[in-house]
Amino acid sequence: MIKLINTSKIYDKNVVALDAVNIEFKEGELIVLKGVSGSGKSTILSLIAGLIKPTTGEVLVNEKKISKIADHFVSSFRQENIGFVFQKYNLINTLSVAENILLPLVPLNLTKVELKSRLENVLKLFDIEDKKDTLVKNLSGGEQQRTAIARANINSPKIILADEPTANLDEKLSLEFIDILKELKSQKRTIILATHDPLFFELDFVDKVIQVKNGQIIS
Amino acid sequence: MTLLVALLASTLFISNAMKSEYNTIINSYPDIVITNQKALRDTTINEDEVYKVLSIKGVSSAVARVWGHYYFLNGDEKFLILGRDEFETYSNPLLNASSNIAKDSMLVSKEVKKSLQKSYYTEYFNFIKADGSIKRLTIQKTLERSNFLENSALIIMNNDSAKEIFEYDDHEVTDLSVSVANKIEVAFIAAKLKILFPSARVSVKDDLRVMYENIYNLRSGFFLTIFIITFFTFFIIIYDKVSGLNSEQRREIGILKALGWRVGDVLNTRFYEGAMISLVSYILGIVLAFIYVYYFNAPYLKGIFLNNYDLLKDFRIVFNIDFETLALLFFLSVPIYIAATVIPSWRVATLEADEVMR
Amino acid sequence: MTLTPEILTIYILDLLFLFFAIIAFILSLQILKSWNFEATTKLQYSLQMKSYLGSTIIKYMFYIKLPLFLFFIFTLDKLSFILPGAMCGAGVVNSNEYATVLLFLKLINLYLFAYWIVLDKLDMQDEQQRYLKQKFTIFIALFTLLVLEIVLEYIMFSSIDVKDVVDCCGTIFSTNDNTYLSKALSLSPRILLSLFYMNFSLLVLSAIFRMRYIFSLLNLLFIFISLLSLVAFFGTYIYELPTHHCPFCFLQQEYSYIGYFLYGVLFIGTFNGLVVGFVEFSKKEISRHYRVSMFFNLMYIIVVTLYPILFFIRNGVWL
Repeated sequence: MIKLINTSKIYDKNVVALDAVNIEFKEGELIVLKGVSGSGKSTILSLIAGLIKPTTGEVLVNEKKISKIADHFVSSFRQENIGFVFQKYNLINTLSVAENILLPLVPLNLTKVELKSRLENVLKLFDIEDKKDTLVKNLSGGEQQRTAIARANINSPKIILADEPTANLDEKLSLEFIDILKELKSQKRTIILATHDPLFFELDFVDKVIQVKNGQIIS
Repeated sequence: MTLLVALLASTLFISNAMKSEYNTIINSYPDIVITNQKALRDTTINEDEVYKVLSIKGVSSAVARVWGHYYFLNGDEKFLILGRDEFETYSNPLLNASSNIAKDSMLVSKEVKKSLQKSYYTEYFNFIKADGSIKRLTIQKTLERSNFLENSALIIMNNDSAKEIFEYDDHEVTDLSVSVANKIEVAFIAAKLKILFPSARVSVKDDLRVMYENIYNLRSGFFLTIFIITFFTFFIIIYDKVSGLNSEQRREIGILKALGWRVGDVLNTRFYEGAMISLVSYILGIVLAFIYVYYFNAPYLKGIFLNNYDLLKDFRIVFNIDFETLALLFFLSVPIYIAATVIPSWRVATLEADEVMR
Repeated sequence: MTLTPEILTIYILDLLFLFFAIIAFILSLQILKSWNFEATTKLQYSLQMKSYLGSTIIKYMFYIKLPLFLFFIFTLDKLSFILPGAMCGAGVVNSNEYATVLLFLKLINLYLFAYWIVLDKLDMQDEQQRYLKQKFTIFIALFTLLVLEIVLEYIMFSSIDVKDVVDCCGTIFSTNDNTYLSKALSLSPRILLSLFYMNFSLLVLSAIFRMRYIFSLLNLLFIFISLLSLVAFFGTYIYELPTHHCPFCFLQQEYSYIGYFLYGVLFIGTFNGLVVGFVEFSKKEISRHYRVSMFFNLMYIIVVTLYPILFFIRNGVWL
């Protein structure tokens, strides 16, 4: 369960990204944050992931005040609980698919066996098994997207965040993504999407659509 | 990095080898040498004084020695002349082995032979005395190569011939060499001798060893100063290289942080990288130095240590590696390399994930 | 002034330490001045990052200092070959009034740095980083001691004169003079040994009953008693010579470098024991420290006791 309590984020030069926002996300919900670029929806995602700290207010995830703990704990928290799919994927082009997917697990010093089994699960789930050893730069757009999603799931996170996941995709791939979403929802994860793609606003398995504009919640 | 370690290692190996050579040589020196002095300048001593020395308890043997240098004008070099007496045993094993020198003959080392040959002396040589007259000595035999650093231009002859060339009186000798049975007693006996011969210089072998050790430390000290300078330059280079944060690298670190890597994790990875590189360089450097010094006999570098006086052209550097040198090299290379990576790695590891990705 | 390659290396590394220590010192000051865990400002974030740098530097220094200390002892030992009269490090240490102080200072610093590392570990495990300010305050103290040590080291090495004749450990550690040292060394073995083993049994007891402060204190005592009994009694069995009371000679090759092992084990054991009294550990952590301490102290006792026993078995008599 995620809560933002009176949270503001003000960048340098008094750029207000979020203005005293209060939201709550229940466990297992699939929520869409709707708004244009710069509305603050990406900021909300970053706050939940602990990538940034709020200027005022608090961020609670599963009763933990992640805005109030030391940096290395935030990173650990992120590693254990969050799967993030970035708008630009942020994959490392010079590494293979498998290597990219395993990156979040490297600091954990797991055994080879453990790593292998997790890797295979996720490769199968997101249908990218055959490209396991291909370098990312040689993948198609859809394949890269699936790699990014696989990476976000390798640590079996309770919360999945996606920032403009379909911004660079054609309709076919967008629909594929929606299928994946359905699958993830069925696994009882909490999923929060930030997007201005209208494709998501009318989906039946979306629990809530929240509009964000100028750093404030509208609906 | 490897080259630097190799260079440093070679220097240390060579100096160690030479140290051990010196130690071997010095071991063949007499325990104590008594050199008479007038106005604190070395002069000759009467050979009968030997009996005074022999009367001291604890002295196992005392020998009156005749030796000195001869300046060979044509070749512009100094020959070391060691005189020997038929019936004496010396502390120098080479002298002992060179018995049976015929009257008016001499044994020469290869270097001397070559020098003389250049001046067309093949069978004999005419020593020129102070009054201009000549003492001719026939070359009886050429000495086999020895490992002596100092005595490369060496001539061994009978005491009589030497005395003639040096123009000593019958009873004059160069100095007295003393051997002491119980090595622990050396200092004690030396003290007694100083009282017996108040105007003489009594040199003890250990002091000589200490002196040489210090010289060698100093010499290698010079090199180390050079190396400090190189190291610091090095430090700066590494710093520069490692801190080269191109945008690609920054992006990658940002991604890692976003995926949940902590600052500590990034630092650890960088540290292991650094440690690996420096360790491998260290080992490689030592191996390289090894080959350079022991197989190829260290051309060029050897010349810095040995100047013309000492030069033995085919000086074989003795195998001499010890733990101390290895430890020394380790401490000079690995911690410094890792140190150079600390701050740049930290800079990299603390990039804000968020900023980098936007 | 003597300048062996070893001394030069030590100087170079000292300079490096100084450089880093000063950086860490400046950081510590900045952190102590403005650290506010609750704040979400850029300043706080940069301070947090700087605290990581501080930790890294201090950890680096400690882990290099450990082998460097061994190397230092080794250098002293090697110097004994150049100093007339000295046959082991003891002569070198004694030739110079700075050397003994330096030795103790280095040891103390090792303990203190190790303590800092423990604090740091504890701090990093705490989500609120409650030990942070404490940690860096202690470092300020550590910094002064470190600088002192480096300066002293330089002074000591540069005042070693090759022309001075020094005493050998035979003279320094003799039981004949009227110094405190010789009085202590000539205590009857019975007293020494009973103290030693009693101390250890008390250690075991206090470990079982988890009496923190007593355990810590007993460990401190153990350091002194072990060193004393080592030099006065056990050492003689290592040397197989009843008059050889030297804490340095058994670091040499002839005795299989056993000195390094003994001192190392003693350090680890007593450090872990000491730390129990100074830091608020969790239950799991504290038992680990108890265990480690007891294990290493036990190892020390076993090995050190073995020497006289083996001697007796081999020779049928005591020294």
